[in-house]
Amino acid sequence: MKSRNWMLKAFVLGVVFFIAALLVKPVGVSTQFSVLSGIIHSTVRPNIITEDPSRETGYKSTNAYYDRNDGKIAEDIKNPLNYGFVFVLAIPLGSYIGYVTTRKNKTKRKREKLPRKPLKYYVPTFISGFLLLYGARMADGCTSGHMMSGIMQGSISGYLFAGVVFAVAIPTAMYVGMKYKGNGGNE
Amino acid sequence: MEIILAVILGGLFGYALYFAGASNPRQLLSMLRLEDLSLMKIIVFAIGFASILLSISIGIGIFDLSHLSIKATNLGVIIGGLIFGLGFGSAGTCPGTCVAATGTDGIKKAIAAVLGGLTGAFAFSMTYGWWKNIGLFDQMNFGKITLFHLSDKFPSVFQFGAIGLFITGVIFVVIACMIPMRGRQ
Repeated sequence: MKSRNWMLKAFVLGVVFFIAALLVKPVGVSTQFSVLSGIIHSTVRPNIITEDPSRETGYKSTNAYYDRNDGKIAEDIKNPLNYGFVFVLAIPLGSYIGYVTTRKNKTKRKREKLPRKPLKYYVPTFISGFLLLYGARMADGCTSGHMMSGIMQGSISGYLFAGVVFAVAIPTAMYVGMKYKGNGGNE
Repeated sequence: MEIILAVILGGLFGYALYFAGASNPRQLLSMLRLEDLSLMKIIVFAIGFASILLSISIGIGIFDLSHLSIKATNLGVIIGGLIFGLGFGSAGTCPGTCVAATGTDGIKKAIAAVLGGLTGAFAFSMTYGWWKNIGLFDQMNFGKITLFHLSDKFPSVFQFGAIGLFITGVIFVVIACMIPMRGRQ
C-alpha cells in the first residue's frame, strides 16, 4: 500500500460510514449471515417460522433467535429483499469494481494458486469464519456494526467490543504468525 | 428506493473496504501483528472523521435521529468479542471484509470464510435460547448506552451531546495521524 494516500483512503471510508447512517442506517453486516443461514434453515424446515398477524413484524418462530425482538429476524428471513440484506449482497459488487479498476496500475497480481493440500488451507479459514460469526452474533455486531458504526456514534458497546477483540486478536495473530512463518500456514 | 440505496451504499462500502486494503487478509494480519499499522491509521481516522460529520449533522439538525443504531452493552459483547477475536486473529478477516474479498482475487479463501460464517451464525441461532436462559445477556447489562446524549431513546454517560462526539472524533483523527506507519519489524 502506498503510504502517502492513507488519508484519502480513510476519507473515503469515513464518508461512506457517515452517508450510510445519514441516508438509511449505520453500516452493519453480521446480522445478514443469520438471515441467510435462516433462509436455508426455513427452506429445509418450513414450519420453523409462521405468520402471526398480531405482531408488528407479522411473523413468529419456534427458534428463540429468529423470534427475538418481536420476530424481526423471522421477518427478514421471510422477506429478504430488504435494505440490510441487499446492502451486504452489494458489497462484493463494489469491491470487484475496485479490484478491476485499480488492477491495471499495479504489476500483475499473482493468481491465487490452488494449494497442494486444499483441506489444510481452507479448513482453518472455515473454522475462523465460524468463530467470527458465532462471536459476532453473540455480541450482536461485528467489526462493522460494533467497532466502526458503534464507536462513530459513541456507543459504549462498540468500545467494549473493540477492546476485547483486539486484546485477543493481536496475540492470536502473532502466535499464528510465529507458528506458520515460512510455509504460508494460515495466510 | 431503499433497495436502490442498499445497492449503492453496499457497493460503496465494498469499494471503500477494498480501496483501504481491508479486504486483504495479509494486510489485516500484518496490522494485528503490529508490523504494518497503515490500516490501523486508516480505520481510526475513518471512524473519527465519520464521528465529526455525524456530530455536525446532528448539531445543525439535518440528521434523522431515528437512524441511530446503538447496540446493548452486556456480557454477551465481551464473550462474543473473545470468540470473535480468535477468528479475527487467526484468519485476518471479519464478516464485512470476507464478503468484500469475494469480489477480489482472494475469492477462494473468502468463500471458505463466508461458508464458515454461515455455519457459525446458524450454530448461534440454534444455541441462542440456551445462552439466554443461563442469563448471558442479563449479566453486566447496561442497555443501549452511549457516551454522549444524542437522543432521548438512549441513556448516556455524559449529559452533553453532539459536541462530545465532535471532540471524540477530533481526538480519533489526531491519534490516527500519530500512529506510525510501520510497527515492529
